[in-house]
Amino acid sequence: MGLIEKSRIKSPWILHFDNSSCNGCDIEILACLTPLYDVERFGMVNMGNPKHADVLLITGPVNRRTARVLKNLYAQVPDPKIVIAVGTCASSGGVFHNCYNVLGGVDKVIPVDVYIPGCAARPEAIIDGVVLALQKLASLRGDKK
Amino acid sequence: MMENLKAITKDELLNEGEKLLTGGAKFITAVCRDLGEQLEVTYFFSLKGGTEMYPLRYTVNKEEEVPSFSQITLATVLIENEMKEMFGLKVKDLALDFGGHLLLAQDSPVTPLLKTTGKTASKGGD
Amino acid sequence: MAARTTVPFGPQHPVLPEPIQLKITYEDEKVVEVVPAIGYGHRGIEKACELNEYTKNIYLCERICGICSYIHSVSVVEVTEKLWPVELPPRVKYLRTIWAEMSRTHSHLLWLGLLADAFGFESMFLQFWRIRERVLDLLEMTTGQRVIQSVNVVGGVRRDISPEQKKTCIETLNTVRKESEALIKVLTKDYTVKSRTIGKGVLTKEQALQLGCAGPTLRGSGVREDARLTKYDAYGELNYEPVVEEAGDSYARALVRARELFQAIDLQLEALAKLPEGEIAVRVRGNPPANEDVMRTEAPRGELFYYAKGNGTRNLERLKVRTPTFANIPSLLVMLPGCELADVPVIVLSIDPCISCTER
Ligand code: SF4
Repeated sequence: MGLIEKSRIKSPWILHFDNSSCNGCDIEILACLTPLYDVERFGMVNMGNPKHADVLLITGPVNRRTARVLKNLYAQVPDPKIVIAVGTCASSGGVFHNCYNVLGGVDKVIPVDVYIPGCAARPEAIIDGVVLALQKLASLRGDKK
Repeated sequence: MMENLKAITKDELLNEGEKLLTGGAKFITAVCRDLGEQLEVTYFFSLKGGTEMYPLRYTVNKEEEVPSFSQITLATVLIENEMKEMFGLKVKDLALDFGGHLLLAQDSPVTPLLKTTGKTASKGGD
Repeated sequence: MAARTTVPFGPQHPVLPEPIQLKITYEDEKVVEVVPAIGYGHRGIEKACELNEYTKNIYLCERICGICSYIHSVSVVEVTEKLWPVELPPRVKYLRTIWAEMSRTHSHLLWLGLLADAFGFESMFLQFWRIRERVLDLLEMTTGQRVIQSVNVVGGVRRDISPEQKKTCIETLNTVRKESEALIKVLTKDYTVKSRTIGKGVLTKEQALQLGCAGPTLRGSGVREDARLTKYDAYGELNYEPVVEEAGDSYARALVRARELFQAIDLQLEALAKLPEGEIAVRVRGNPPANEDVMRTEAPRGELFYYAKGNGTRNLERLKVRTPTFANIPSLLVMLPGCELADVPVIVLSIDPCISCTER
């Protein structure tokens, strides 16, 4: 395992994107960064730039306007990448399933690797999900996927 | 039951509203409702530190043009744009016109809140 | 004349947890014009509320916004209750007040944290959020969930606060007050904070009224207006007076929120002490009658307005939600022009924008 692969698993960089969520899950993701849950002990750092990121954390259902933005962001994140759908509504549309402007879960637009259910997903669940994603990331190599 | 509800015509809106505003009232919001052939629009104002409310209500046919209160205060500009795109209410002379894309995207259903844009348009997914 | 440049601010921007776009035109460093472009968070909840049974609207409306979700659920159940109308047991009114103030406490702590973060005080941001976790623990203990409580039903609430829980609440609230006092002192006395907020983004009293602002944005400009003055729930029986600041700048708005934080704690303690015994729900029969009514409540970000019309069936004829940020966005159009590029994020933050609310 090369240095880059190793550091990717020891210190994954995260990009958080909010589709059209209710904020509940976004706030819980932020809460993960705070001292009580502290995901930085797994080396995770929140990034603002998609080209730096390894993991895409996505909240909220895809709506007709964010679908394009989301595809765009996904294309910018370098391979290998992992997509995590946080919350019930990012996984399936959830409570918003019959709203006219909602297309459904994130997997309607881009492939998703890990689903974290819960409305809102608890910080513990989010951390669990990210750790699960890291195991998957460890099995991926830069050239594949 | 709503207190102080006052029925007006669409042409009285600007005058009546301005009178309330000069009396120290604050615009809260407007609500549009689909009556079938007609649209019912209610402008809500609050007075006395928010403890009293004055709604002004007019009813128009769907194809009629109505004046925009945003000529008097910018406060109404978002909600009037919203009514225009959600109900097809023909608001003219908007101070800031979002052209029907304040909330809706290019491929969203048009005038989704009308009763006739019924169940099919609302089915998200596929 | 200096050249003009238009720069989009957002939709994905580090100070904003949510997508909103402002198209800002600059002349050198000065902002000359702002056009908001929203719609990234639009889902179509109002329509879905007409298609769902009225009892399901509670769960949908709560998810309009995950931060003020409790106030949304209070508003939607109370506007529906008003259609009959339903007479609520006193204990329900107090419980709703306590939870509403609890969610105001966590929301203001959250905002103060974001403000600290916007100045680059990262450790202070983390401190505020650490205190906030205590409030979330209380919410979880009493309602069963951290952010989306789902504890209201038409006619009452689903959980009660037991005497032991009451004791824990009182202890924790006192700790929260002690800890936040120390932090807020730093935040309000610090030179950097003052130099970046005093005189920035000024909104005069007349402008605030004209533009129909709401909540701390309005009260920070010296207007004594608050939906809690309409005495819904238990507010009529509690010792309550709105917090008002005169200056109208970002600093004044921050002060309003800081003082409201302590006021919210006081209101909770008072309501807990006065908590009457009794039922926590009444049975509501039949479908919502064909009446119409409005409900105005005070969310952490300002006045929340619900309009409902029933038609005698299980579905509501129309449900309209006006959220506080929807009312506050026009104020950015007068606050931003004239300020400098580097001040834009703090001024935008100073109205405490909540975009998922605005766009529903
Ligand atoms: S899963 Fe629930 S809490 Fe999370 S963003 Fe969606 S609606 Fe909000």
